[in-house]
Amino acid sequence: MRGGSALNWLMSLAPSPEKAASASVPVRRGITRRQALAAALATGVAVGAVRLLGGSMQSLARPRPSTGTDWISPLGSESARVMQLLRRTSFGYTPAQLESALSDGFSKTVDRLIETNPVEPAPFGAANTPGGRFAVGQLQQWWLDHVLTTPTPFAERMTLFWHGHFTSDYRKVADDTFMYWQNLTWRRMSMTNLRSMLMQVTTDPAMLRYLDLATSTGQSPNENYSRELMELFTMGPGNYTEDDVRHSAKALAGWQLPQPDSNATVTVATGVTRTLPVYSTQRPGVFNLRRAFKGSVTYLGKTGPLDTQGVVDRILAQPATAQFIAAQVAQHFVTAQPDAAYVRTLADAFRRSNYDMKALMRAVLASPEFSSAQTYRTLVKSPTDFMVHSARALGATNLSKLIAASGSGMGQSLFDPPDVSGWPNNESWISSNTVVERVNFVTAALGQVRSALPAASDASRQQLDGVLSPQTASLLNQAADDRARWFITLASPEFQLK
Amino acid sequence: MTRQIGINQLKRRDFLKAGLVFGAGATGLAAGYAAVPDAFARAVYAAKREGLTNDNVLVMIQLAGGNDGLRTVVPLADPSLHDLRPKLSGPMVSQALPLNDQFGLNHNLGAIKGLWDKGKVAIVQGVGYPNPTFSHFESIRIWETGDPTRRQVDGWLGRTLASAYDSNGHPLTGCACGTTEVPGALRDLQATMTVIQDQKTFGFTGGSEVEAAVGALYKGTPGIYGALFDTAIATATETMATLRTSAASYQPMAGYTDKVQLVYSSKNQLAAALQLAAELIVTGTGVKLLHVTLGGFDTHYTELNRHDDLMGYLDSAVGAFYQDLAAHGMADKVLIATWSEFGRRPKENASGGTDHGAAAPLLLIGDPVKGGLYGESPSLTSLDATGNLKYAVDFRSVYQEILGGHLGADSSKILGASFDSVPFLKAPVSATV
Repeated sequence: MRGGSALNWLMSLAPSPEKAASASVPVRRGITRRQALAAALATGVAVGAVRLLGGSMQSLARPRPSTGTDWISPLGSESARVMQLLRRTSFGYTPAQLESALSDGFSKTVDRLIETNPVEPAPFGAANTPGGRFAVGQLQQWWLDHVLTTPTPFAERMTLFWHGHFTSDYRKVADDTFMYWQNLTWRRMSMTNLRSMLMQVTTDPAMLRYLDLATSTGQSPNENYSRELMELFTMGPGNYTEDDVRHSAKALAGWQLPQPDSNATVTVATGVTRTLPVYSTQRPGVFNLRRAFKGSVTYLGKTGPLDTQGVVDRILAQPATAQFIAAQVAQHFVTAQPDAAYVRTLADAFRRSNYDMKALMRAVLASPEFSSAQTYRTLVKSPTDFMVHSARALGATNLSKLIAASGSGMGQSLFDPPDVSGWPNNESWISSNTVVERVNFVTAALGQVRSALPAASDASRQQLDGVLSPQTASLLNQAADDRARWFITLASPEFQLK
Repeated sequence: MTRQIGINQLKRRDFLKAGLVFGAGATGLAAGYAAVPDAFARAVYAAKREGLTNDNVLVMIQLAGGNDGLRTVVPLADPSLHDLRPKLSGPMVSQALPLNDQFGLNHNLGAIKGLWDKGKVAIVQGVGYPNPTFSHFESIRIWETGDPTRRQVDGWLGRTLASAYDSNGHPLTGCACGTTEVPGALRDLQATMTVIQDQKTFGFTGGSEVEAAVGALYKGTPGIYGALFDTAIATATETMATLRTSAASYQPMAGYTDKVQLVYSSKNQLAAALQLAAELIVTGTGVKLLHVTLGGFDTHYTELNRHDDLMGYLDSAVGAFYQDLAAHGMADKVLIATWSEFGRRPKENASGGTDHGAAAPLLLIGDPVKGGLYGESPSLTSLDATGNLKYAVDFRSVYQEILGGHLGADSSKILGASFDSVPFLKAPVSATV
């Protein structure tokens, strides 16, 4: 294997004999230098430059035996900051989206991201199917179609964030209509207020089923939702007691699934019929006083009667809540291991704003840490991030089916998180299985793009900031044609990072 | 196999010749840079292999979500069971497969009961740890790291790999089958292991030329994830080569069947994962530590059928796996062990399920096992302050027996302490240093 056969492969991708022939003589030499110049214009640094890994990096991100070198940050230049902003908030960009953001500049782009209301996706056609018995792949594709074409990709990035945070999976929920509704709800609430969000999460039909609140009673409570509400959704472990779990399980009991508009008798297998609910409109769970707990509870240090709003209010009165949410956001948007002082700053801003998500996200995106050299390429793109960004870079909007089908081998299948903590992130995305699947996705995507591939001459600058490892630079330099250059760009380690 | 070369005899230029592009030197390499399918890593591996006393294999099966111990090993004679579980206890007692007059296996564990009858199943009852957490993720981490104080970050099997095997350049020494992520138990900064979700699709769809190009692309990658990426690609490439050979020489000698999506919240391809494990074992790939997961055990509601289904699932997969190993003459090498982050609450809830609990039994299966009941079944009448079962055996006692007795590793070094002995193995081998 090694260099020789890699070059053969690159040539074999050339579409026509003339091109292959021309590629066999190094007429394209100098790409690296040209791109270095382009990158220098854009970012002020040279291609292929790396620096010794400094001690400060080790404290910002998980220590890992490394090659001893680090990427040189281009973030001194505004254009590089804008590109990073879009990678981290918007699933990357098409050339047109990038151009528009570059002309707006960093601050104006942040304003636009924060202040633009989400564009709603087209209604999902199969939503009224009795019992929500449609293939989850249809729902995944519906969402991805919207992600690939929406003018407000930040809303989709936030929806995915909340889908991983307030997570539910279609297997246990067992009614894909509820999963569809949850997706709509998470998008609408994604940049609102944590107080109202927590009420919506608690009464969301998919969640009522996923964490069993729909079957809990005050008499004999089910602790599942009560525990995860504190452990995974708001405060984090160590900030409440087992008694708090038990008592809030009582206080939260009484919610049930909404009544369907009608019921339909459906043949589910040969000779087997079932009566299944049909919902024509989205609605939250309903509270049944008879199933609720009537007495007083002792919860987070106070005793007395307590309803769901009361539980939420007490959770929000705990300083741990803002800290926990701020840390989650920082890990997803800024760096794998944010330091405590930074998280505290974000948490303070969040709490001062009375839990306004716009205030928190503005604090995150505008913080020096977000654009600092120290956090450059310290996040790994999630599979969805990586695939959608690939499609955008290729100008392809026809890849939703491929993306929906390819996620699971990389560890992320939408509406199907591995467990109640949602998806892990960053280094957890990297294993021998997932890296192969990422490469295979690029192979498949390049095979499925219907339109002509965009010119790849700018790809390493536009998509990789012009900051390349010697390997990537060298392979790009050897590439026979645009197809090969796109393959190397999208399969490169640089493109897996954001 | 590569002959052992003294590490010190390898010169820096040898590393460079082998395609390494960094200047960290031998210290940096020994510190865990694993994407080195070359003479250096092989020398390290060979050196460490020399110290091993056996070629035994461990297969850990994670029952994720918190397996209900009372429905796995049923206390038949305890009258409190019905009071605590009016909805859940009936058939589970009447249909259980009796082990003696006190305990019975879940009625869907027929194949495992067959192995019990042949003395090939050890059941350690009442396994847990002090001051249990009821958080899935905290308790999983405790079991994965073997550290209830939560200071350790590396997995107990990862530490075993790093200290006793060193998988550098030999990624298949540790392997997670049927998943996309390195399980926490196998994680260690100094060790490399393979993750294969599905062997049928594990490969570059673009063929060998893509494989070569990607191999060239992922070398000396800078940044904090650089080594991880390079290692993952090198590991994948080497594993593909091994699988191409092993798949050709492996014929399953048992019927593995997966009813996909049998139980909610889990893809449950345990049989497929164990079949891959069998292939890796019987074709002599050198695999030592395998990890597979069966999910769906967080049975907060309508537990009755779900848990029975999961038991049936476990049983058919393990039954086929054992049969396959035995038919290939490898059963004497392989120890199968289950683990779960906790058991479940003795008292059932309003949803016909059970909430998070504490102590539970573990199953140890295979020819190396001295069959029988070990530990102590927790009392159903003397529960702890949270209404949960009290533990009698620290889970690290079980690890200690596995490490020292089965793998021949230095368990006190890996676990950081010694624990009470639970002698569930036939002829423990002595620990190596």
